[in-house]
Amino acid sequence: MEIFLQACVNGLLIGGFYSLMGMGQNIIFGVMKIINFCHGEMLMIGMYLTFVFNTFFGIDPYLSIPLVALCMFGLGALIQHTLITPSLGTKSFTNLLFLTVGLGILFQNLALVIFSPNYRTITTSYSSITVHLGPVTMALPKLISFIALIIITIALFWFLKYTSTGKKIRAVSQNPIGAEVVGINSKRIYIITYGLGCALAGVAGALLTLFYMVYPMVGSSFGFKALIVVVVGGFGSIQGAFCAGIFLGLLETLSSLIVGPTYRDLTVFVTFIVILVVRQIIILRRR
Amino acid sequence: MKKLLAVSAVLLLAAGMVFAGGSQETTTESGTEPIKIGAMYALSGTNAAIGTNIMRGVDFAVEMINEQGGVNGRPVEIVRGDTQGDPKVGRSVAERLITQDGVHAILGCHQSTITQIVAQVCEQYQIPELTAISTVDNLSTFGFKYFFRMCPMNSLYVENQFMYLEDLAAQTGTPIKRIAIFADNSNIGQELIRCSRIYAEKYGMEIVAEIQYSSGATDLTSEVLALKAANPDAVLCESYINDAILFTKTLAEQGYKPPVVVAKANGFADPSYIPATEGISNGIASVVEWNPDLTKGQDINAKFKEKYGVDMNGHSAESFTAVWILKTAFEQAGTTDGPAVRDALASMDIQGSFPNGPQIILPYDRIKFGDMEVDGVQHTQNNLYASVAIAQIQDGEYKTVWPFEFSATEVQYPAQYE
Repeated sequence: MEIFLQACVNGLLIGGFYSLMGMGQNIIFGVMKIINFCHGEMLMIGMYLTFVFNTFFGIDPYLSIPLVALCMFGLGALIQHTLITPSLGTKSFTNLLFLTVGLGILFQNLALVIFSPNYRTITTSYSSITVHLGPVTMALPKLISFIALIIITIALFWFLKYTSTGKKIRAVSQNPIGAEVVGINSKRIYIITYGLGCALAGVAGALLTLFYMVYPMVGSSFGFKALIVVVVGGFGSIQGAFCAGIFLGLLETLSSLIVGPTYRDLTVFVTFIVILVVRQIIILRRR
Repeated sequence: MKKLLAVSAVLLLAAGMVFAGGSQETTTESGTEPIKIGAMYALSGTNAAIGTNIMRGVDFAVEMINEQGGVNGRPVEIVRGDTQGDPKVGRSVAERLITQDGVHAILGCHQSTITQIVAQVCEQYQIPELTAISTVDNLSTFGFKYFFRMCPMNSLYVENQFMYLEDLAAQTGTPIKRIAIFADNSNIGQELIRCSRIYAEKYGMEIVAEIQYSSGATDLTSEVLALKAANPDAVLCESYINDAILFTKTLAEQGYKPPVVVAKANGFADPSYIPATEGISNGIASVVEWNPDLTKGQDINAKFKEKYGVDMNGHSAESFTAVWILKTAFEQAGTTDGPAVRDALASMDIQGSFPNGPQIILPYDRIKFGDMEVDGVQHTQNNLYASVAIAQIQDGEYKTVWPFEFSATEVQYPAQYE
C-alpha cells in the first residue's frame, strides 16, 4: 500500500510535467495547426537557463522561474515572428515540419557546443531534504515543483478563460477567419501563442532541473512524451492534454509497480494503442 | 573541422604510400629498419575522445621503448589507422595498413564489431592482431589463429564483481548471499543479467530481483522501491550515465542505502558522474580497468601525467601494456615474420614485469594467452590472468579497493552515501 501511494504521487508529479509539455504543444497546435517538434528542446533550453542563472548568478532555481519564462517567451516570440509566421504563408506542412525539427537539432547542437555533452545537476541547500507525507517520501524540490505545477496549470486555465488575450487565443483556435473578421490581429496572437507554448516548456524545464540532470539531449524523451499526450488527449484540446499527461505519468509508475519494470514501456504503449483504437471506433459509431 | 580531418587523413595516407613504396624494395630484415605496428582506433567521429586516450598510452609506450633502444636495435613505429568508429571503414583501413604501409602487427580496435572485422583481415594476411580494449565475449569464439585479447572479456567483468562480493563477505564477516541486479533493457544490460545468472550459481548466491528499465527513463522511483522491497545484500548495476545519475538521486530521495552497490563501469565511470552526484554517491563501487591510485604503475603514471597533463585512464593503461606485449613478442620471435610473431605471442608468459621493461601496471601479475571455457563455450587466445579492479567512491573520488593486494584503501562497508 505504501509503495502504491508512493508510485501514485510520483506518477502525478511526472504526469504534471507531461501535462505542462502537452498543453504548451496543444495551445500552439490549436492556434496554428502546426506540431512544434522542437518542444522538447524548449524544455532543454529552460533547464540550461535555470542552470546558468543558478551557477553564474546564484539565483535560486525556483526564483528564476519568472525570468526563465520571460526569456523563453521572448525566444518563442522571436522564432514565431522571424521564422514560423513567414513559413505559415506557404501552407506547406513539410516546410513547417522541417523548420521545427531543424530548430530542434540546431538547439541540441548549440547546447553541445556551449555546454559540452557533460551531465550537470544543481544542488541547493534544501535539495537533499526529504519530506515525509504519511507513508510517502518525497524530496523537497519535488514537492515544491509539484505545488508549482498545480499553480501554473490553474493559472493557465484561468488565463485562457477569463483574460482578453486568452479569449482571443481561443477565438483564433476555434475559427481563425471569424476571429480575423471581428478584428483580432491573428499574427499578434500567433506570436503570443508560440511564446506562451515555449514559456510553458521552459518553466517545466526549470521545475525539473533540481531533481533531474541537464544535458543537451534531455528534451528528446520529454518531447516524445508530450507528443503522445497530444495525440491521446486530442489535438488542440487543453483539457485533454492535461488529463492525458496525468494519466500517462500514473500509467508509467503504476505499470512498473504492478506489471513489473521490464514491461513498463510495453504496458504504456499497448494501453495507448488500445485507447486510440477504441476512440476511433466510438467516433465512427457516433456518425 | 571535418574537412581538416579529411585532408590530414589523405595526407597521412599519401605519406604512408610513399613510405610503403620505399620499404617494399628492401623487404629483407635489416638492422635499423623500424618495426611497424598499426594502431586502429577512432581518431575522428563521436568516439574520437576515447581514441585519443588510447593513443596516448600507445605513444607513451613506444617512446619509452625507443628510448631504450627499440626491439633488438630496431625502433618501433606506429602507423595510425583511423576507423572513424565505423565498421565499414575498419576493413579498408586494415587492408591499407597491411598491404600499403606494411605493418607487422595490428593493435586494435576499440569497438568490438570493428575488431572482429579487422581480425578477419589479419587472419587472411597472417598478421597478428592484439586487442587491449574490446570486451565482447564472442570475439574469441571464432577460433582466429592471429587474434589475441589482452583485456578481460565482458563475462569476466561480471565474474570479478562476484569475486569482489565474495572477498568482501570474507573480509567483513557479513555474508553476501542475496543479490539484486539493476540494469537497462539494452544489449549491454541484458549481458549483465545473463552472466549474473551463471556466476550467482557458481559463487553460491541467489538473485532475488532483476530490475530492468528502459534507458532514458524520466523517473526511477518505482524501480528503486522494487529494489528496496527485495532488500538484497548487494546490488549489481549496469546503467548509462543519465540513468546512473537518476538512480543515485532516487536512492537518496527514498532513503534507501543498499550495503553494497557494484556497477559495471559504464555510466558510473563517466567523468561527469561524481560531480553530478556530489555528496550522495560515496560508497558506490564500480569496476575499473585501472585507477591512478593503484599501488602499481605509480612512477609510469607520474611520467605520463607530466607529458599529457592528465592521469592515465583504463584505456591508456591497457594500450600501454599492449604495446609492451607486442614489443616482447617481436623480441622473442627475433623476426617480424607474421607466423613467427604469432607463435611468440601464443607461447609468451610474462610474470610480474616485462623483460627489460616495466612491471605489469594493470591489476594482475601475469600475462599468458590461452584457451578457456566459459559457460560451455570455448574461447581461444584470451589473456588467462586478466582481471579488473574495483574502485569505490570515497570523499568524492574513486579509490581502488579490490583486488586487496593492489589497493591502498579499505572498503567502506556498508556504503554510507554521504
